Order: sequence, then C-alpha cells, then structure tokens
Amino acid sequence: MWEVMFWPIVACILLPWLLVYLGLHVVQRGIIFIDIAMAQMASLGICLAVLLHLDLESWTTFGIALAFTLVGAAIFSVTGKRASQIPQEAVIGISYVVAAAAAVLLLSRAAEGDEEIKNMLIGNILLVTPREVWERFALFAAVGVFHFVFRKNFLLVSFDRDGAYQKGLQVRWWDFLFYAVFGLVVTSFVRIAGVLLVFSYLIVPAVCGINLAQRIGGRLLIGWIIALLGGVAGLFVSYWCDLPSGAAIVCTFGALLIAVSAYTLICGRLRAN
Amino acid sequence: MKRILLILSTILACVFSAQAKLNVVATLPDFGSLAREIGGDKIDIVVLAKATEDPHFVDARPSFVVSLRNADVLIDGGAELEIGWLPPLLQNARNPKIEIGKPGRVQASQGIRLMNVPTSVTRAAGDVHALGNPHFTVDPIIAKAIAQHIAQSLAALDPPNAAFYDGTYKKFEATINAKLQEWGAAMLPFKNQHVVAYHDSWPYFGHRFGLNIDIFLEPKPGIPPSPSHLTEVIAQMKAQHVKAVIVEPYHDKRIAEKVASATGAKVVEFSQFPGGIPGSDGYAKLIDTLISRLAAALK
Repeated sequence: MWEVMFWPIVACILLPWLLVYLGLHVVQRGIIFIDIAMAQMASLGICLAVLLHLDLESWTTFGIALAFTLVGAAIFSVTGKRASQIPQEAVIGISYVVAAAAAVLLLSRAAEGDEEIKNMLIGNILLVTPREVWERFALFAAVGVFHFVFRKNFLLVSFDRDGAYQKGLQVRWWDFLFYAVFGLVVTSFVRIAGVLLVFSYLIVPAVCGINLAQRIGGRLLIGWIIALLGGVAGLFVSYWCDLPSGAAIVCTFGALLIAVSAYTLICGRLRAN
Repeated sequence: MKRILLILSTILACVFSAQAKLNVVATLPDFGSLAREIGGDKIDIVVLAKATEDPHFVDARPSFVVSLRNADVLIDGGAELEIGWLPPLLQNARNPKIEIGKPGRVQASQGIRLMNVPTSVTRAAGDVHALGNPHFTVDPIIAKAIAQHIAQSLAALDPPNAAFYDGTYKKFEATINAKLQEWGAAMLPFKNQHVVAYHDSWPYFGHRFGLNIDIFLEPKPGIPPSPSHLTEVIAQMKAQHVKAVIVEPYHDKRIAEKVASATGAKVVEFSQFPGGIPGSDGYAKLIDTLISRLAAALK
C-alpha cells in the first residue's frame, strides 16, 4: 500500500496547513465560494490559451492564467465595500457563473482542450507526483512567510474591518494582496487535488476550529488537526475500500464535522443543565 | 495420512498454479473481453474502465495503481484513447515489465491501419487523436488481429500454455469468421445508408458493414452540440433519409432523442464495449446485439 499511497499521504501532510489558515479568513469574511470562483477564473485563462493555440504547459499559459486570477482579485477587492447593499458572495457567485459560461463559449470556438480544462478542475490527489508536491510546498512556504510577516494587517482586514479603516489601513490594497495570493494558492492546489478537495480543506477545518475555540491560535491548531486527520484517514478509507481518493477525503471531512458538531451540541446541553 | 498428503498436495498445486497465472491488466473492456477469450482460466485479468464509462475520461482508484504495479501484461489501445488517464497511472505504478516495447506491453493498435489519421494536428480541428481514430475494436476483423496479438504475447510470456492460447485464438477466429457471414448478410440491405452518431466512434464498424456513419451530433469531437449545428444535422438527416441515431451509454441521450423526433429517425443505444448494453457480454454477442439493433432501426 505504501508504494501507492506514500505521495498522496505526504501531500496531505505537507500542503493543507496554509489552506486551513486561509480558510479561517475566508469563513470570517463570509466568502465561502471564493475558491471555486478563483479556480474558474484561472481555467478561463487556460481556455484563452487553448484558443490562441498555446502550449498548455508553457509559462505564457501560466502567465495568462495568473493574469485572470489577478483580474478576479481586483474585482473582489473593488466590490468588497465597507457598507454595501450587495453581499460579496453575490459578486463571487456572478463571477463564477460568468467565468464558467465564458469558458464554454471560448471552448466552443476553440474546440479541443476540453480534457485539459477538466483535468485542471478535477486533479487527482492519488496521482500526485513528488515534483508537484515539492513545488507546491515551496510556493506555500513562501506564501506562509508572506502572510506571517504581514499577519497583523491581514488579520485586521479580515476580522475587524472597521478597526482596519479606523487605523487608516489601505483596506482595498490589502484585500487585493489577499485575493491575489489566495488565487495563486488555490489554483496550484486545484491542479493536484480538484475543486471538491480544495473547498473542503478551506472550509471544514475552519468551521470545526470556530466551533471548538475562540482565539485564532486555538482555531488554527484544531483546524490543522482536523485537516491532517481527515486527509490521512480519507486516504486510508480510499485504499481499503478502493474508492476515488478525493471524494473519500471529502466525505471523511463531512463525518468529522458531524462528530465535532455533535460534540459541541452535547457539551452545550451539559453546560446549560 | 495418505488423504492428508493428497489434500496438501492439491492445495500446493492450487497455490502453485495460482502463482503461475499471468496477471493481465486491460485498460478498456473490449481488450479485456478479447483477453478473456484467449487467456481463459490461465490468466487473472483486471479491466480498469467500466463498460458504461467514457473511455476518454476514467476516474482513477487506488486499486488501478496496485493492479498495474503487479501486472505481467498490460493491454492498451496504443492510439491515445486513454491518454487522459493512463500515463499518470503508469507513472505512479512504475512497473518496468509493462513499459512500451517490453514483451509485457500489448498495444492493440500495433499493426493496425488506423482510419482518419489527421494530416496535421491543430487544436482548431477539435479533440482529434493524432494517431488516427482509436475506436477500432468494433471491426471484427481488427478484433481478430488484436486477439492474435494477445495470443502471441501471452504465449511468449507463458510458454507452457502456448498451445492453449493458440487453440483459444483459433476457436475465436473460427467463431468470428462464421459470424461475419451472418452479420454481413444482415447489413446488406442497408448498404451505403447514412447513420448519425453522437461521437465519431464508428468509422471502423461502418466501413466493415457498408454503412456511412458520418454525421455527428458533436460539431467537433469532444465539443457539446450547439443549436446551429443540430439544425444543420436535422437538415442533413432529412436530405439523406437517415433512420438511425447511435448513442453510447455516456452520451446525452436527450439530444439524440430531440433530433430523432424532429426527423422520424430512431435512437439506437450502442456500445463499443462488451457489457455496455444488455445482452452483450462477450465480443461476438456485442456485435450480434449491435447488428440486430441497427437492423431493426433501419428497417
């Protein structure tokens, strides 16, 4: 089993910590579907590369995908007003459907490329290669350092927007930086793990952490434990029952969340009594 | 005591013969079915894709890698049909026995003249396969060639059973030769008729049985049908008096039904793979079913 599952397990240990941290931001900001919208933006960029007959493995293609992600980041940072009638989630939803539909339109003119786009959004954690793991680990480490250095500003902008404005912070600029880096992380992880898995890694550990702890440090720690547990247990389930790996991990996360919710419910009852 | 010895030796014999069996992996059910005809109980066979799954997109499971890692023989199409999912699996399995060029790798397309080889491959032409159309097993004469290729490879890797593989191949060849008369006769009344298909999976079948399966619901391979293209297809169908629209299990049947109801044609459920439609387990039975379904629709 180790020969087959070794690298997926390494990937599930080395990579999700950053997603869990970003997930805390995302849940706090109430922009749950941002990851899917970002991934769709990037794949729209790939569609354009297909239309221009570019080599999909080339740096030009990567650059186009990155540019589209930055456009997404710009849209989300401009629309995230301090007080607006329109919730941010609406803009995210609209961006997603428009990007997805635009991709369909582009591909209908371009022909072919269908499989690449599907691969981009479907990525299979089971088939991850050592090189992919190390490349992403390096990227995530760099992003982690970046977030750590500017943690005060990023946390303030996400968790206390009014406070951030009062302090005279360039909120929009920090928003843009957050979304841009976020897009980079999500797009690179989607390629090896697929949309479902990215979404679960972002949201489930963060929600469990918020359920069980008050302070950000505690939430992060719980989130990391849940992410490790869910990822590795999911891979074992996938191996023993011979199930598609990504989906097995997602369902394991679902089960963990139910367990955590039941635990908090029972604890709450006991305390109330 | 004697009895115990007998039982022990039987168990040992079983274990020994079980170990001696070749582990054969087939990427797609058509190759799996042919390998079963040839290998019989002398091989253990694992087929990766399901018969109802689109062969272009197959969802990998951990057991796929394990099977490929333990395989003595891998039978694949060799014409890029599985290009979307097989290479990463092979990369993870790292099994030198089934590398291209090794005796353990049977590429079905080897020695077969593929149809519709593009003169130049550009992305503008759609999801084309550079080596030519890879849906060739549905031609029974090509199937015989693949079966022979499999029989020769198995014989080379497992010399004690060489005569067995040769025998099963001869039997398969005889069955197909006899059936070919029957199938040809059933299709003869419909010679040169046009038939519509969802995807261009049937040029070999059409070529063998004298049909023109040359109008497609997809505007380009792999691209979903657009309204203007469907309008064009309906006009063409009316002009050519097309009576049958072929769909496979993983295609959108409603689109076929829409054009069929607009033209009075019939939707015929087809499968390239034994087991993909009811009553089609085994290669000859599959072609039997395809021929009788198509004949019923064209009548």
